[in-house]
Amino acid sequence: MQGQNKTLLIAGAAIVVLIILAAGYFLFAGGGEQPATGQQQEEQPAAGQQQEQQQQEQAPPAEEKIVVGATLSLTGKYAKEGEMSLLGALAAIRWINDNGGIKIGDKTYMLELKYYDDESNKDRVKSLVERLIKEDQVQFLLAPYSSGLTAAAAPIAEKYGAIMISHGGASDKIFQQGYKYVVQVLTPASRYFVSVIDLVKAIDPEAKTIAIVYKENPFSSVVAEGAKKYAEQQGFQVVYYQSYPADAQDLTPVLQPLKEMKPDIIIGGGHFADGQLLARQLYELGIKPKLVAILVAPALPEFYETLGDAAEGIAYPSQWEPGVKFSPDNVPPGYEWYGPTVDEFLQYFKMVAEERGKGDLVPSYHAADAAAAILFLAKAIEMAQSLDPDDVRQAMNDVAIFTFYGKIKIDPETGLQIGHEMIVGQWQNGRKVIIWPPEAAEAEPLYPMPGYTG
Amino acid sequence: MALVDPWTVREAVRKSLPALAIYAVLLAAYFLIPGKSQLFATILFYALLGQAFNIFMGMTGYVDFGYVAFLAVGAYAFGVTAMALASLGSPGWTLIPLGLLAAAGAAMILASMVGAIALRLRGAYFAIATIGVNEGLRYFFEGANILGGSIGLYIVKDLKTLFGDEGYQFMATIAADLLMFGLAGFTVLVTAWILSSRMGFALQAIREDEDAARALGVNVTKYKVLAFMTSGALGGMLGALNWALKEGVLEPETVFFIVYTVEAIIIVVLGGAGTLLGPIVGALIYIGLNYVSNVYAAPLLEGIGIKASGLHLILLAPILIAFIIAAPNGIIGLLRERIRNPTIRRFLV
Repeated sequence: MQGQNKTLLIAGAAIVVLIILAAGYFLFAGGGEQPATGQQQEEQPAAGQQQEQQQQEQAPPAEEKIVVGATLSLTGKYAKEGEMSLLGALAAIRWINDNGGIKIGDKTYMLELKYYDDESNKDRVKSLVERLIKEDQVQFLLAPYSSGLTAAAAPIAEKYGAIMISHGGASDKIFQQGYKYVVQVLTPASRYFVSVIDLVKAIDPEAKTIAIVYKENPFSSVVAEGAKKYAEQQGFQVVYYQSYPADAQDLTPVLQPLKEMKPDIIIGGGHFADGQLLARQLYELGIKPKLVAILVAPALPEFYETLGDAAEGIAYPSQWEPGVKFSPDNVPPGYEWYGPTVDEFLQYFKMVAEERGKGDLVPSYHAADAAAAILFLAKAIEMAQSLDPDDVRQAMNDVAIFTFYGKIKIDPETGLQIGHEMIVGQWQNGRKVIIWPPEAAEAEPLYPMPGYTG
Repeated sequence: MALVDPWTVREAVRKSLPALAIYAVLLAAYFLIPGKSQLFATILFYALLGQAFNIFMGMTGYVDFGYVAFLAVGAYAFGVTAMALASLGSPGWTLIPLGLLAAAGAAMILASMVGAIALRLRGAYFAIATIGVNEGLRYFFEGANILGGSIGLYIVKDLKTLFGDEGYQFMATIAADLLMFGLAGFTVLVTAWILSSRMGFALQAIREDEDAARALGVNVTKYKVLAFMTSGALGGMLGALNWALKEGVLEPETVFFIVYTVEAIIIVVLGGAGTLLGPIVGALIYIGLNYVSNVYAAPLLEGIGIKASGLHLILLAPILIAFIIAAPNGIIGLLRERIRNPTIRRFLV
């Protein structure tokens, strides 16, 4: 009996494996890009389809698409961010396709996204990036989510000369390594708190002292370092500069000294869980400075759902927020408007999210980052009038666009983002509102925070 | 004595042949199948991870949950060597022997330090103590702010100084993989030699019953520490090649990453703990299935309207569970139980 059971199980396992292999073969032989294509094209409004059909009559269909590749962290520790990136990229792609695609000469190209899940693991990234470039014939890539994963992908993308646009790697260091084809669309970590410090300086000349409490991890360390430097440049005194371990479950020992110090401003945080913990424990310990600004966590709606009152008045720097007032009417000098308006982006995001059964998701800045990467690429291709990665990379140096995401412009030398500026948001009466910069703001800052005792 | 014993040598050679053959096929596939070289390099990395881990865990039965620390420390040692050589203006090729030596050395030092304390513990206590080693080291790197702290060590620039822009491209994409193939061959020979020598028998005795082994006069401590250090040194060199040389960026968060230890356990148990072929077969199945389900099956499901994240892992998990239930002693263990043909059995090592 025992033996028979075993044999059955083995046979069962073997059959499952065979089915998967067969499925794989079918896909592979039948053109690996089919499913993604169907998904992209099926639900397009009639205008886009007509245009595409016209195009098909003039040119061979193989030249009609520009496939953008991506390894996204759909599972693992960056799953939350990865899902948002996916939806954001899809939304931007669909907007471009619905609005005439990308024109090179008299030809029109539609964009398409080909992506795989990298499980937030850098030893998955390498084979997937190579596959995207060599088998899916992708010349343009969205970089994986974090700096560590980006570093794993970079040598392979460089080897094949494929452009990699970083939309989730805010590290500055990646761009000091001499990669030729890696560019960035989001504000680098070192400049994350610049806007918060500017805000305080502008509205409260009395504020002098800043405490920085941050999570020990690559991203937040650079943020904290950059914030300290900028704060000191602006004449603030950094009275407390302390990190806490990445997996900390209790920040009381780190926060306790702040009760005595009473800094005017507290900034810091890291990612989601610890940022939430930081806000809660500041509240519980009764530490109430004039302003608390925390990274990442407050930007997500769950922050208020979990914390309630403790979230009130907490500010955060963000790459982007759904309520920003960037519009074609307030384009800064030297920039030109490109891409969807904020409302259009939200509408397209909802459309693609609904298709994945996530209709109630509100786009976070991760979604906007990825969308911005797509817009930046599209603009560069249009300016280059070429699909050659070298031409496109060259053209990227001259792109200066103002979008629903704000300004986008890179440093030609390193590929580092120099145009985009952080906005500052704040929880007011259970709602996130943008309070800085003035041209993007929806409301006045709630300053000092409720409960401030001085 | 054991080193030159002709029986041991003959046995070791015979035992290493099937594993070397598999690596040769992988190497051929690496070069001949276009667009898949990184897939084979990934399989190679995991096979090596399993093999190095197996030398200690598979043969003694001790589960080291902090194993990835050896890879991480090795990678850091290699990185520091690269920075030092770059600032000294040494020729690029010196990095490979010196860097690997530093990696193996650093990992062995760590192994002897951890071993001296943790190897006094048994079973779950050993496992818990070793988790502490990995997490502790990670916090040490981050908290003490040494070698880049939590930001990590970026050595791409130093590697470019050593090898030049073109040379770096070659080192990071091809040479690193070829060196890993070399390390794989070396690891096979080491494992085969251990399995055929007095040490292998001693380790097996420890796995079956440590007290009985001690009572029979086996120097239990000596063999455990030897196996632990060998396993650590191989892991250190693997980390150096796959992370430091190939990626050029070492973040504590992603190199002291416990998932690698867990994956090593999966691979060893899947293929057959304590066997030579086991980890290689385990890596082929684990990474192969992961890739196929990720790249082919998940998009297929998306195509028919099932759009969700992590589909491929949902497919993968039951298959792995089925494998473990069907073959609790691993694939190689199962084949050994089933196959009676002596010629084939000779190759199931």
